[in-house]
Amino acid sequence: MILSRFYRMLTLALLAPLLVAGCGRVKEKPASLAANADSTQHVDSAAAAPAPVLSYEAQQGRNIFMKYCAVCHGTEGKGDGFNAFNLDPKPRNLTDGAYMKTLTDDRLAQTIREGGRGVNRSSLMPSWGARLTKNEILDVAAFVRTFAVDSAAAK
Amino acid sequence: MKRSRIAFALSSVVFLVVLAISPVKDMLLEWKGYQKDYNRLIQDLPQRVAPAEIGIRQIWVPKLDRVDRCVTCHLGMKEKALAGAKEPFGAHPRIDHDVEEFGCTICHEGQGPATTYKESIGKVAFWEHPMLPREYIEAACGKCHKEKTVTHAPVLSAGRKLIEEANCIGCHKIAGYQRQWVPTLNGIGSKVNRAWLYAWLKDPKAYFPKTKMANFHFTDAEADIMADFLMGFTSFSDSASLDPLPAEAAAPTEAAKTALEELGSTRISEARCISCHSINGKGGSIATDLGKVASKTSQQWLYNYIKSPKRFQPKVLMPRFRFSDKDLAGVVTYMKTEYTDYDLAEPPKHTPDPQYYEKGLALFKKYNCRGCHELEGVGNTGEVGPELTFVGSKKLYEIDFGQSGIEESLPSYLFTKMTKPRVFSSVAKMPDFGFSPEEARAVAVALLGNTNERIPEEMQVRPKQASTYDPQGEFGKLVNDLACFGCHTMEGRGRLVATDLTQEASAAKRDWIENYFKVPYSLRPILTERMPNFRLSDPEIKVLTDYMSKVFLTDTLAHDLSVTEASAAKGKLLYEERYGCKGCHQIEGKGGYVGPPLDKVASRLQSGWIFHWLKDPQALRPESIEPNNKLSDQEAEALTAYLLTLK
Repeated sequence: MILSRFYRMLTLALLAPLLVAGCGRVKEKPASLAANADSTQHVDSAAAAPAPVLSYEAQQGRNIFMKYCAVCHGTEGKGDGFNAFNLDPKPRNLTDGAYMKTLTDDRLAQTIREGGRGVNRSSLMPSWGARLTKNEILDVAAFVRTFAVDSAAAK
Repeated sequence: MKRSRIAFALSSVVFLVVLAISPVKDMLLEWKGYQKDYNRLIQDLPQRVAPAEIGIRQIWVPKLDRVDRCVTCHLGMKEKALAGAKEPFGAHPRIDHDVEEFGCTICHEGQGPATTYKESIGKVAFWEHPMLPREYIEAACGKCHKEKTVTHAPVLSAGRKLIEEANCIGCHKIAGYQRQWVPTLNGIGSKVNRAWLYAWLKDPKAYFPKTKMANFHFTDAEADIMADFLMGFTSFSDSASLDPLPAEAAAPTEAAKTALEELGSTRISEARCISCHSINGKGGSIATDLGKVASKTSQQWLYNYIKSPKRFQPKVLMPRFRFSDKDLAGVVTYMKTEYTDYDLAEPPKHTPDPQYYEKGLALFKKYNCRGCHELEGVGNTGEVGPELTFVGSKKLYEIDFGQSGIEESLPSYLFTKMTKPRVFSSVAKMPDFGFSPEEARAVAVALLGNTNERIPEEMQVRPKQASTYDPQGEFGKLVNDLACFGCHTMEGRGRLVATDLTQEASAAKRDWIENYFKVPYSLRPILTERMPNFRLSDPEIKVLTDYMSKVFLTDTLAHDLSVTEASAAKGKLLYEERYGCKGCHQIEGKGGYVGPPLDKVASRLQSGWIFHWLKDPQALRPESIEPNNKLSDQEAEALTAYLLTLK
């Protein structure tokens, strides 16, 4: 009897700090790091609607897109930039989720890098490989991806 | 005996527990938990990711004096497969710097050597540099990148631009900023009317929403005193005086007035005033709004100022248009009719304070108006605000948060200071610049980057030396008179509203330049800012083109080539099919209009320029968005040949 009580106490004594320390760690675990991203806002997001949270790459890509691509593809990626009506074929509607899904990341980056003629499409889409760095092209591709995601979410 | 057995057993248990404390504590370290979580997480990934060995990791960057153990828990930093994974395991966004080389805290701040979450983010006592919130992260770029526009850091660049434009250095010493041109107040009493001045002092943005002038929140009494004080300064700099208004504009008959208005309207649209000025918000944003200017000032002032702006504002970037007196009479008559604010409220009646001069001067000095505006007889009062060259290294205990109730951190202090400058103290004098939250954050980001951290020389990116180019002689006089630097850059000096002229004679043909001065037209129809018609005389145009064709020339850009039918045909094919040039350029009305139309391009551009431009546009104009197609010499020559057929 005495012995078994001892053993019970011993087990308890050994487990107690374990439990306490274990709880302490769980309590301190940060849940806020991922949530930080929500507060990310950027100067050029003038849109009235709450802008979707963009990854860092997509934010960089947006700046490049607005400078080089928006003239034809439009600021919202619908293929309706001011220069679009002069073009035949029309610029790709980048919000078309069904089409964008068929494009692999590599193919998307290649289209930006080599232009339409690099991927057997219209040469009206210029090649940006010499103008933009490899990372910049990946950033633009990341931003372009956000158009279709948005439209899917809106539906 | 039994008692001693129990005592012995008890002490053994205590001894065992004491022995167990250390290994148990070690086993339960926070970071070990993360490492184990990480190893569990990667097992569920489709791709194989190497598991983490349990142990502390760190990046040591001796040249920046950093030891960062963040990678102990941030284990997926370099694993593409972990992009978007839950923190702390997510992959780091792709950036231009290698984390191994720069470490973490040089950008993010926080306490590098710490191994618990709470200590590492640095929000603990006596740690002065807690992690930068993400929306302020570009502040860190500013520590090493001191150039005005930093690629890939748009917020920082916007903040630096705002600091320069708001002329913060009028009151604060900040290294690396240029003083802005601000109108002199000499002669203001002969320029504006008192009712306008009073309203302006109360709220400058009500008259011109884009003005850089800040709101000092003057009380009615203070604004009255300031208005009376300033209206007393009636003599202009360098004893300039106002010429009388031409008789025909002073009191025209009804019929003459209509004719004058018509003439004025024509001259104003020819001169393209709206390239720089807006009319009730529509038009350019380089200069002030003209929509109500006739209620601000007199026709006589307008006449004198447009006739010769620099007589009254020696450094203003307003060009002197070559208007005749008749033209000017028309212009000011038109302005009087069109640009009067008929809804302007009568100013409240007031009796001037007998001591308005002394009190006005005291206010003028108190708010350091002299920091921006020149005023005769009032010397420089010096900077009144604290120096901001190293404000990003300000310690928390040095900041007085007053009763503001904001989060006690440097980013939140600077942000709040920009939106509510006087919230921290009842005696604060800083005026309200009307920054939007985005602008305030950008300014805070730029200021946070001003640290006194020691950065090795080789890691710093310094701004380019300011150009000392200052053309002399007849050309220099004209450049000053026409304020060319207001829009154009030459030899590294000036703004890039319009073309950089440094190589203009290698780019354009002399005949074309001459004609362009006579009848400027817009090469790119989509631009708002357009070259005004200054109505230059032929000798003036000769001075300008003579100088340009000698100085703005780069010999290496010459490239003569013979145009054959075959090469032109090949070029045409490249233009239309292979490179899709027609997507952006028009020929005979067909094509896009992102770039300039190319009809008659052969009469405009030199063959060498076209050739080198096609080879590498950004080598000639870094800001151009023309794609670089990496053409071979043969292709570029063929394309050039085709373009040379467009005469």
